[in-house]
Amino acid sequence: MNKLRLIIAREYMSLVGSKSFIIMTLLIPFLFIIIAAVPVGMAWLNDKGSDVQQIAVIDETDHYAAALHSDDMYNFVIIKGDTTAAYPIKVVIPRDVDSTGVVNIYSEGTITPALVSLIRNTLSDTIQNAHLANMGIPNLQQMVEKAQVNIDVRSIKLSESGEQESSTDAAMGLGFILSFITYMFVLMYGAMIMNSVIEEKTNRIVEVVVSSCRPFQLMLGKIIGVGLVGLTQMAIWIVLLGIIGTVAGSMLGLGNMAAAGATTEAMAATQDMGFMESIMKQVLTINYVPIIINFVLYFIGGYLLYSALFAGLGSAVDQASDASQFTTPVILIMLIAFYAGIACAENPTGPIAVWCSIIPFTSPVVMMVRLPFGVPTWQLALSIFLLFATALAIIWLAGRIYRRGILHYGQKASFGTLLKWIK
Amino acid sequence: MAYLDINNVVKRYEEHTALDHVSMQVEQGCIYGLLGPNGAGKSTLIRIINRILAADEGTVTLNGKKMTDDDIAQIGYLPEERGLYKKMKVGDHIVYLGRLKGMTKADAVSSMHWWLDRFDLKKWENKKVEALSKGMQQKVQFIGTVIHRPPLLIFDEPFSGFDPVNADQLKVEILALREQGSTILFSTHNMSSVEEVCQQITLLNHAQVVLTGSVDEVKQQHKKNIIAVETTDAIETNPAMFTILPPEAGRRATHIKLAHGVQVREAIAWLNEHCHLTGFTEVLPSMHEIFVETVKSTKTADNNE
Repeated sequence: MNKLRLIIAREYMSLVGSKSFIIMTLLIPFLFIIIAAVPVGMAWLNDKGSDVQQIAVIDETDHYAAALHSDDMYNFVIIKGDTTAAYPIKVVIPRDVDSTGVVNIYSEGTITPALVSLIRNTLSDTIQNAHLANMGIPNLQQMVEKAQVNIDVRSIKLSESGEQESSTDAAMGLGFILSFITYMFVLMYGAMIMNSVIEEKTNRIVEVVVSSCRPFQLMLGKIIGVGLVGLTQMAIWIVLLGIIGTVAGSMLGLGNMAAAGATTEAMAATQDMGFMESIMKQVLTINYVPIIINFVLYFIGGYLLYSALFAGLGSAVDQASDASQFTTPVILIMLIAFYAGIACAENPTGPIAVWCSIIPFTSPVVMMVRLPFGVPTWQLALSIFLLFATALAIIWLAGRIYRRGILHYGQKASFGTLLKWIK
Repeated sequence: MAYLDINNVVKRYEEHTALDHVSMQVEQGCIYGLLGPNGAGKSTLIRIINRILAADEGTVTLNGKKMTDDDIAQIGYLPEERGLYKKMKVGDHIVYLGRLKGMTKADAVSSMHWWLDRFDLKKWENKKVEALSKGMQQKVQFIGTVIHRPPLLIFDEPFSGFDPVNADQLKVEILALREQGSTILFSTHNMSSVEEVCQQITLLNHAQVVLTGSVDEVKQQHKKNIIAVETTDAIETNPAMFTILPPEAGRRATHIKLAHGVQVREAIAWLNEHCHLTGFTEVLPSMHEIFVETVKSTKTADNNE
């Protein structure tokens, strides 16, 4: 046990102290922020920077053009008589628009979809209202508005503790985020373990070390050490993102709000004002305790399973460049798990969701998506049992491969060689 | 009973047998040479002693007890394929290797300081390994092997990668460790170093022991009854007693090969009567010759099978 602790400590310190770790840890949150901020900033710049577009409106009916109001992006100029004046964009409302419902836009360049939808929505509403008014029925417009209904579907989960408003959207989002975290973590730190194993081989230090401890101890020490490095990195990221978020929020608060306000204006107008409220309510009603407990279990199980696989496979090659023949199938399985997770979000009780959440190689990713929708206890228990049993079996198998692999130089090992080593 | 007793060890791989009933006894306090051409099974045997590999059959006993995993703390092992963590600091690295062998931190640190001082590497303690020259890295590697003062030291090709100056320093250190009571097992095909430092040898070829014994015994066994004779006049011939070997460049003395059954003193007496004899020595084969001859003869034996 003492040796295992030494190995873990060395692995941890050497990775956490390395330049690449420090750079990655500091850079990724900024990259994240940049990726998130660039579209907003660009949209804002685009809106601010572009000239006001001059649009000629030729209204052959004389009724509807006034509905198109100029703003800081578009300047609508109603033209009567001389229709040959030079404008880059011309909107023609034909005389028979009431019956055909067709409006033409003539332009020299291409027209943005935003402009097309603005004109369509505005004119549709105006013409519809005019039609209603023409029917001569008092208060018809109000009657129509009253008749329009937006159905809000609320799902209620029946459980022993009584009715509970369940929360598909927020729960699905949470499940997806957790599953994505597991996926990324396993891929990133699995690769890190493999590199660490290959590095010891190319350094030729490995025989010196295994003359002092069991190869299995070395492998396990690596898996645990790198796992702790990963958790440290994630913890730093969460803290950094929190700090950056707060600082950026307070600094750019007003500007951002204005920009966000402009782009979401149209959306907000059509949305039920209670939408945010209902999301908040959903977030609050998610039963976090089982989700977090299961997340931790699947996270650990999935990490152990895949990291042992990466360690065993890494031991069989001399150079990182030779590793792809072994890693490709593993990454393929992970990709399948990822796509099964997406399929599961659409139908959490379908056969793919059920099977992939029980099969150990895909369950850490898929079950996290399924979990918020409620999973029968026996399936959960079976899945967790299988995951840990398989993880232990893979660790044992990887240990057998590792023992032989680390001392194997020269000729490239094949899958057949690996099988022989296990025996 | 010998300090390190290897008894009928067998190790089989899928395609071949690496060790075929190999036995070997290493006495306490001696320097023992394990010889053999590449692929003879030396490294496999050494890995079995170090418990990196497990033997399929046979036993390894240390100090009269069957070896267990705990005994590896008693061994200092310098493998042929060796290296260091390049990014670790020299001092930390040595302490890490010492602690892996079961030393306490304080012990390992003080021992590390002593050895760095001895090899004149003190100012490098806080430098990363990669900043050191190859020769200095080899010294750090050696310190890492002996830091826990193991009673049994195993060196696999210890002089490979050392320049002659450092090789000499290493030889001095190895002899000093023997003086302090360590038993040393050498694996090498550098025959001159075998003659200089080893007392006992075992020669492996094709997974089997083909020769074993003390260096002196082995040489006696392989002598060819050749005498180097120096005279001031020409040597008279006596075909019944000896034949004169053709001269070789760079050799002043004349080599004569005694006929079967003729004793050295009879030949000397006869020569003394018939020539003006100024000097004579019995020529013993070098370990290099014995090595080549034995390996070749086992090869022919194999081919005749």
